[in-house]
Amino acid sequence: MDSKAIKIAANNVQVYYADTHAIKDVNVEIEDKTVTAFIGPSGCGKSTFLRCLNRMNDTIDICRVEGDILLDGEDIYDKRVDPVQLRAKVGMVFQKPNPFPKSIYDNVAYGPRIHGLAKNKAELDDIVEKSLRRGAIWDEVKDRLDAPGTGLSGGQQQRLCIARAVATEPEVLLMDEPCSALDPIATAQVEELIDELRSRYSVVIVTHSMQQAARVSQKTAFFHLGNLVEFGETGQIFTNPEDPRTESYITGRIG
Amino acid sequence: MALSWLLLILLALAVIGYFAGRSRALASVGGDARDLHSLPSYYGYNVALTALVPAIGVLIVWLLAQPMIVNSTVSGLIPDQAIPEGSDRGLIMSEVRRVAYGLDGAVSSGAMTEAQAQDGDADIEILTKSLKDAGQVLTQDVTQPILVAAQKFRSMTSTGTIAMQVVVLALALLGAAFAYVRTHKEFRARNVVEQGVLALLLLAASIAILTTIGIVLSMLFETMNFFQLHSWKDFFFGSTWAPNFRGGSELSILPLLWGTLYISVIALLVAVPIGLFAAIYLSEYASGVTRSIAKPLLEILAGIPTIVYGLFALLTVGPALVSMFGDGGVLGVGWMASSNAVLTAGLVMGIMLIPFVSSLSDDIINAVPQSMRDGSLGLGATHSETVRNVILPAALPGIVGAILLAASRAIGETMIVVMAAGAIAKFSGNPFEAMTTITTRIVSQLTGDTDFASPETLVAFALGLTLFIITLGLNIFALYIVRKYREQYE
Ligand SMILES: Nc1ncnc2c1ncn2[C@@H]1O[C@H](COP(=O)(O)OP(=O)(O)OP(=O)(O)O)[C@@H](O)[C@H]1O
Ligand SMILES: [Mg+2]
Repeated sequence: MDSKAIKIAANNVQVYYADTHAIKDVNVEIEDKTVTAFIGPSGCGKSTFLRCLNRMNDTIDICRVEGDILLDGEDIYDKRVDPVQLRAKVGMVFQKPNPFPKSIYDNVAYGPRIHGLAKNKAELDDIVEKSLRRGAIWDEVKDRLDAPGTGLSGGQQQRLCIARAVATEPEVLLMDEPCSALDPIATAQVEELIDELRSRYSVVIVTHSMQQAARVSQKTAFFHLGNLVEFGETGQIFTNPEDPRTESYITGRIG
Repeated sequence: MALSWLLLILLALAVIGYFAGRSRALASVGGDARDLHSLPSYYGYNVALTALVPAIGVLIVWLLAQPMIVNSTVSGLIPDQAIPEGSDRGLIMSEVRRVAYGLDGAVSSGAMTEAQAQDGDADIEILTKSLKDAGQVLTQDVTQPILVAAQKFRSMTSTGTIAMQVVVLALALLGAAFAYVRTHKEFRARNVVEQGVLALLLLAASIAILTTIGIVLSMLFETMNFFQLHSWKDFFFGSTWAPNFRGGSELSILPLLWGTLYISVIALLVAVPIGLFAAIYLSEYASGVTRSIAKPLLEILAGIPTIVYGLFALLTVGPALVSMFGDGGVLGVGWMASSNAVLTAGLVMGIMLIPFVSSLSDDIINAVPQSMRDGSLGLGATHSETVRNVILPAALPGIVGAILLAASRAIGETMIVVMAAGAIAKFSGNPFEAMTTITTRIVSQLTGDTDFASPETLVAFALGLTLFIITLGLNIFALYIVRKYREQYE
């Protein structure tokens, strides 16, 4: 494989929730134009680590992050970095769907409006339609863009949140189990989207489905009890893991 | 026998019943409690409750009904010609009651024998004199019809009370005996106690509801009396408030309603932005420590009695406003003549409402799920953009509900406006003028020398009822909105 530019580099990252040591000394390099999958048993710190990458952990009072995380070579925990600006560049789809109690249209238009991405109404309409198409939900909602986003089904809400996240054109998209509430058809559509995003952005996806990780990602990181056990080419991890813990997780013996 | 004795006896009966029932149940199974249908104490409670609940229910009904029956019977005894010019049956009845209580007092202090007190042919003058000597208060001279009525009142009341005691005690004994006899190992005491508890709870709930209904009805009756003496057209659609105790008053609610609403609007203009912003600061920005100090402090404001706010308006805010807007004031405009003004009352009432608005809004903002904030922040929105675009819209219905509740408090507020708003009823848009409100007029119509027969006094009840209906409507509407909002995130 040809080596791509490093988009995000994490060095010796430690995360504490008050006294709980949730992430222990993690080093990882996330490449540009690549899909990286985070796998690991429940509670091992995948979401926690993901939230470090766009400083969403700042909103949790008791959470403390140590170590460096560099985005394009710049430390995102540096005082000069504006977390708001950072989150516009590093978008996020959360584990639980969280549409705003607004219309479907306003949900998607939220980011573009805040960042002034559209010059006029027609352009905004365009962005909304394109994003909803990429979120694989356009056909289901195109006739009711004024209906509240909270009135959709769980899976539809999750795809709406994906559309909302891609509407701001982030450089990195962090997705925390985006398909856990989706049926196989919508899952396939989201995977297609991830594949398409790869041509321009870097995507990090947390998933509990080994098949999904194998299908969509080029790199895979296996977390266990807050440690990054193994990180490498997806094919390598799934066919020939180095660590016995990785092997037993993949083959379904721990988890 | 006094009421307290009766209650004590009932209680003692219940306690005895409890132990008797319990031991009888145990005896029926030879002391092995496992053979009983219910736990032994349930058999005890069953006897106690069966003794108490019906007896107390009858006692309450009797206590409410007896005075009404006695009053209406006695009042029928007074001949029409015994009612002097300018008085009415109600006033005479209160005199009758006063004489009756006077006689009671004189008998119990030994100034008079029971026979003297009930002597229908007693000499009025001697009787009046001995009553006064015994220290009883009489407002006018006792007349023959009043004395007769008072004696009838006394005899009916004492017979009624004795009958009540007999009936209540008999009921309690019967209940206890009935339950005691039924106590047996097969008897489902647990289920019966369940019903007894239900009955007790129901009793408590119905007393609360009945009181509310009673309040509304008493207002309604007096209001109807008022509308017999005064035209409802003037009350609802007139334009002048000019009570005159010599008659010919114009009593229109509209100027008062105008003052009430004007002051309330100013109060809300003060309280809503400040309260809301304080709530946003406390729930979104303040650190845990700041919050734990500032929130209780803000809520202390809510505990200050409104009369203290009134003093604050009278002594501090009013003069301060005059020194700004008054003649020779800092601004040199000379708009404000006295410290009693719509603005003074509105400002201070607004301060009073701040904690009310802020603590309700704070709860509502906190109820917006964290995932909503995360979603917005994750898209690169700033904190204040998140508050403005996501949190406030999500909390809006609840906040509107809070504002409506605050409005209904403002409309019903009395002390601050009594002390700070003035007493002039008029339609004016000038916030520097004195104006008056519905509540202050209720106070002024009912204080001082009043008889409850003139429209000038009775209008207070019509005002009160109207106010009650307005605030009730606002409250229902507010609760409806708040409840609708609560469902959204459940
Ligand atoms: N807000 C929080 N406060 C305190 N502890 C937390 C918090 N969030 C997570 N943790 C702890 O951090 C550890 C990692 O949690 P995290 O949510 O990152 O797990 P995860 O790998 O995403 O699990 P899952 O697959 O179930 O989503 C857990 O032990 C959890 O208890
Ligand atoms: Mg997770």
